[in-house]
Amino acid sequence: MMGETEAVEIDDILDDWFIESLKSYKDLHVYQLEHPTQIIEWTSGKTVCVAGYSSGKNEILELRLPLRLLADEKKGLCAERDFKVVHGGFSEGPVCCLRHIPGTRCAVTNDGLTSDLQLWDLGADDTDVIRKTGSLPGTSVSQAGSRITARLSSPPQVLHGAQSSGVQLTQLSTGQTLYRLEVDSTKPLSSLKFASPPPGECALWWTDASAASQCRVIMLSSSGQAVVSDLRNLGGALCQAQLDVQTSPRKPEDVTVAWAPALDGCFSVSGLSGLVQIYDTARWRAELQDASPLFQHAGHSVSSQHGDGSAPIFITTHVWHPERPRTLLSAASDGSVHVWDWVDPQTN
Amino acid sequence: MTSMKRIFSKTRRITVGRLVGVTLASGRCFHAELVRTESSGLPIVHHSKYVCELPANHRFPMAKFPRVLHFLLQDQVITDRQVWVPEIASKDLLGAVHTEDYLNNFISGRINEQEQRRTGFPWSEGIVRRCRYETGGTVLAAEVALRRGLACSTAGGTHHAFPSYGSGFCLLNDLAVAAKYLMNSSSRRRKVLIVDLDVHQGDGTAFIFKDEPSVFTFSVHCGKNFPVRKQQSDLDISVEDGLEDEEYLSTVAEHLPWLLETFRPDLVLYDAGVDPHREDELGRLRLTDQGLYQRDLYVMKTVVKRGVPIATVIGGGYSRDIDKLALRHSIVHRAATRVWRECGM
Repeated sequence: MMGETEAVEIDDILDDWFIESLKSYKDLHVYQLEHPTQIIEWTSGKTVCVAGYSSGKNEILELRLPLRLLADEKKGLCAERDFKVVHGGFSEGPVCCLRHIPGTRCAVTNDGLTSDLQLWDLGADDTDVIRKTGSLPGTSVSQAGSRITARLSSPPQVLHGAQSSGVQLTQLSTGQTLYRLEVDSTKPLSSLKFASPPPGECALWWTDASAASQCRVIMLSSSGQAVVSDLRNLGGALCQAQLDVQTSPRKPEDVTVAWAPALDGCFSVSGLSGLVQIYDTARWRAELQDASPLFQHAGHSVSSQHGDGSAPIFITTHVWHPERPRTLLSAASDGSVHVWDWVDPQTN
Repeated sequence: MTSMKRIFSKTRRITVGRLVGVTLASGRCFHAELVRTESSGLPIVHHSKYVCELPANHRFPMAKFPRVLHFLLQDQVITDRQVWVPEIASKDLLGAVHTEDYLNNFISGRINEQEQRRTGFPWSEGIVRRCRYETGGTVLAAEVALRRGLACSTAGGTHHAFPSYGSGFCLLNDLAVAAKYLMNSSSRRRKVLIVDLDVHQGDGTAFIFKDEPSVFTFSVHCGKNFPVRKQQSDLDISVEDGLEDEEYLSTVAEHLPWLLETFRPDLVLYDAGVDPHREDELGRLRLTDQGLYQRDLYVMKTVVKRGVPIATVIGGGYSRDIDKLALRHSIVHRAATRVWRECGM
């Protein structure tokens, strides 16, 4: 049982952080889901999908971001400060991966237990229901979940697989397998993008190669070593740094690494501490050195201490806004979802 | 403490003629740089030094104070002949509420990083000066209210300040300093009711007066707003997020009349914070401009009709649009002008 002094101290920490946040964020909006999500997926510039991952039935929700956040100039006029549920549906099992098919109102999910995929219609203006429209079988061998990715293509296609040997490109409308990766390996995939898989040894590695304009890939190991390489020369390191790791990730899904889409050289990490950390690689060198984050979002861990003293929460996932340079969304194991627009501390 | 000593031992920019007139007639003087005893309009208390420079992009809307006065004059709600100018609050005045250590450190700039962070302000001489003038303004508004029945400052409401530290943009507790001073400045101890309708709990004020029977602290606030760590006012009404005009007003109306009836204050200090407004960046309630106006009208009318003097401060409000915010803060002055007129003051 938490003593009264402890409860008061925790309240104080939260109050201190709140006052601090007035300076360190341009905007911060907090939302509480009934059940935690481990996916946040953009379905438009203003909407995201989240979904539960418990063992039974789970909700899939499409949320619209607070309008006040998006109303850059006329914030005063905009009273809408809350997330709004615009579409919702149910999945029979956990949702561990969800991808929106660009250019459509379709999404593809995987339950983390098999390599099968489920297809969904996210709904249009005339309905608020997200409904399942079909399924795609994966390769039967795997007992782990699949990762999924999609890019704008006509007709729509998804790239999915649980292991390196099981990656396939499937056309959604027909279910036809267009391409199958011929690799003799059963290493589990922790992330999948339209790029080469990372070099891995015993450690778990995560990558993001979405900084396509610069041909850069960031690779992060479970011990916190971050390496930036040129996509065309994965063996060499352009620069690297040792990040401060406080939590040992148990599963690949625990960690998310992502380049900032609109902020050169910056990337974000969650899952190695209770925070979302943003690093600026501009000053990194080829020799390994310690690096400190440019910014840390502590909102989830600060507010979670305010609970019933149960297990420490962890960040389940986070994403950057595709265009707004410093806007991110993050979700934690206590069901909290935050959207935040941080102030670059270097500008003070 | 004689008033004669005050006139001749301190140098102030006062129109001596008027002050002497007031002092000889009433045996009392105001903590003022400029008095307006000849004006028959609603007393407004303002000082140009209510503001100070802040770092660029600082979240506190410092520029709102002069804008409040600007809009009241521009819209011809008041004339400048109604504007009283306060003295800076002296260490003595502040010392009745704040500890000597804190005051010394605060005035000389020995507030450490951690303490500064909690206040939300970087220390500067300017911020010390403006807080002291703001506090002086609330004291003056209370003094004038005792004489005229109603008076409104264009600042004030720094209710998160505790005796030995500041918090949440509050460095000195102006309401507490005013209440303490007025409580003791007459031969018979005055009873003061503090009505705090800012969306944040008046935790500092609640703490300061928790064992003081002559001061009753009443706070209506949103439970989920800062501070998480709440103090205990004499009466706390914690309301839910999203509360709108009608329900909010009936909540206030449920308590104010019986408080006045049972506590029987000699003076009411009213924190008319506008952060319950739906567009406020921090507040989680949904009042409209009309709602705030009706609220202020209700509070002032209810108190004035019972013959109890009331002084108002603007309280909290957070918006990046300073003009919109200043207009919102000026609602209480507009409501007060109507009360002044309708109650034949």
